Amino acid sequence: MNPYVLAILLSSLGLGTTLTFASSHWLLAWMGLEINTLAIAPLMAQHHHPRAVEATTKYFLTQATAAAMILFASTTNAWMTGEWSISNLSNPLASTMFVAALALKIGLAPVHFWMPEVLQGLDLLTGLILSTWQKLAPFALIIQTAHNVDPLLLTLLGVTSTLVGGWGGLNQTQLRKILAYSSIAHMGWMIIVIQYSPQLTLLALGMYIIMTSATFLTLKMSLTTKINTLATTWSKNPVLASTTALVLLSLGGLPPLTGFMPKWMILQELTKQNLPIIATTMALAALISLYFYLRLCYAMTLTVSPNTTNSTTPWRTQTTQTSLPLALFITATLGLLPMTPAILMLTT
Amino acid sequence: MTYFMSLLLMALVVGLVAVASNPTPYFAALGLVVAAGVGCGVLVGHGGSFLSLVLFLIYLGGMLVVFAYSAALAAEPFPEAWGSRSVLGYVLVYLLGVALMAGLFWGGWYEGSWVVVDGLKEFSVLRGDVSGVAVMYSFGGGMLVICAWVLLLTLLVVLELTRGLSRGTLRAV
Repeated sequence: MNPYVLAILLSSLGLGTTLTFASSHWLLAWMGLEINTLAIAPLMAQHHHPRAVEATTKYFLTQATAAAMILFASTTNAWMTGEWSISNLSNPLASTMFVAALALKIGLAPVHFWMPEVLQGLDLLTGLILSTWQKLAPFALIIQTAHNVDPLLLTLLGVTSTLVGGWGGLNQTQLRKILAYSSIAHMGWMIIVIQYSPQLTLLALGMYIIMTSATFLTLKMSLTTKINTLATTWSKNPVLASTTALVLLSLGGLPPLTGFMPKWMILQELTKQNLPIIATTMALAALISLYFYLRLCYAMTLTVSPNTTNSTTPWRTQTTQTSLPLALFITATLGLLPMTPAILMLTT
Repeated sequence: MTYFMSLLLMALVVGLVAVASNPTPYFAALGLVVAAGVGCGVLVGHGGSFLSLVLFLIYLGGMLVVFAYSAALAAEPFPEAWGSRSVLGYVLVYLLGVALMAGLFWGGWYEGSWVVVDGLKEFSVLRGDVSGVAVMYSFGGGMLVICAWVLLLTLLVVLELTRGLSRGTLRAV
C-alpha cells in the first residue's frame, strides 16, 4: 500500500482509540469508534480479492450497526435524563442498549457470528490489529458503563461467550477461525468479572493482547493459516515450534504460564462474590477451548506428520521478517506469571 | 399544531418504511427525500429552524443528490416498483411492526405536548440551535478540527477501497 496512505490510516487508528479513551461525552466516544471502523476498512481490503472485500463488508456493516445503536442509546439517555456523559447512566433502557451495542462491537456471544468469518478473510497482521487494537476502545466504554447494567445481562454474555468460543472452535481446521473463537472465549472471561472488579477485566485484556499477538506473529513467521501447513512448520523453525506449544498452552490458561494469571484471578474473584456455579461453568468451558489449543500443539510440535526426507531438513535461512516483536511477546506469554502482584498493582 | 406535528411524524415513519422496503436504491433515495423533508419539518416545529435549513440544504441538496446520481449510474433498466408482490410483502411486514410498536406505546391525548427547545415561545432571535452552532465553533473548535480530519480520512478510505479499477472486486470497470 502507498506508504503515505498507510501512515494516515494507522495514525487514524491511533486517533480513534485515543479519542474514545479521552472522551466523557457519548458523541465524542462514538466519533472515536467510527474513526477506527473507517480507518481499518482499507487495511482489511488491501489485497482486493473477493474474500477480503467480503470480510471488510461484513465487518463494516456490523460495526456500523453497533455504532448506530450507540447513537440511539446515547440520544435516548439524553432525552430521558438530559445527561450526555458516559459515567452515571441512570436510564436502564439506555445502559442495556449500550452494553448490547458494545457487545456487538467486540464480538461477544450471542452477537459473535461476524467474528470468525471476518477474521478468516484477512491476512494475519490485519487480523491481529482487529483482535487486539480494535478491542481497546469498546472496552474503555464497557468498563465505564458496566456498573449501571443489569448483572444478569453481563453474566449471560460472559458465560455464553466462553461456551460458544469453546464449542465453536472445536471443529475448525483454519487457524484464523480458531483464533476468532479463542477471542470470543477470552472476551467472555473479561465480561464475566467486570461487574465485580474492572481491574481484572483490564488485566485479562492486557494478557489476552500479549498472548494473541504472540500467536498471530508466530503464524505470520511460519506463513501458515491452517492446521495442514502448521504440521510442517517445525522443521523450518524448530525453536519457534517448541515455544509455540507453550504459547498455545498459555492461551489455554495452564499454569505456570502467563495465561493462568487472568483465569486464576477471575475465578478467585467469582468465588469471593459467592458465585461457585458460575466459576465452575467458566472453568469447565475453558477446558473446551483447551482441547483445540492442545490439538494445535499436537499438530505442530508433539507429532511429526509423515513426509519426505528433504522436507524434514530444509535450509533454515535467515528470515526477512522482523522477529523482535515476536520474541518480546513470546517471552511475555511464557514468563509473566511470577509477576502477578506487580501487574495487579499496575491495573489498580 | 399538535395535529400537524403528528401528521409530519407519521409521514416520517411511512418514508422510513419506504426506505427499508425499497426494490432499488433509486426508490430508497425517494423515501429518504420524503423522510428527511418531513424530519426538517419536525425540527422546525421544535424551534430549530436554522438546523432544519442546514439539514435541508446539505443533506437533501448535497449528499442525497450525489447519492441519487451515483445510484442512477448503477441503475438496472427494468427495476421492480412498489406494486410488485415481493416488495409489497416487505412493506406490509414493516407496517405491521410499526403498528405493533404503536400499540405498545399508545397513550392518551394528555401525554404528549409539543414545546420548543427553549423557554420562550415566540420572542427570541437566538434559539437553542443557533447558539449551539456558535458554541460548537468556539468551545468545540478542537472537535471541528477532528471532524475535518475524519472527512479527509473518509475520502482517502474510499479512494483506497476502490483502487485498481477492475482488478479489485468492488469495481466493474
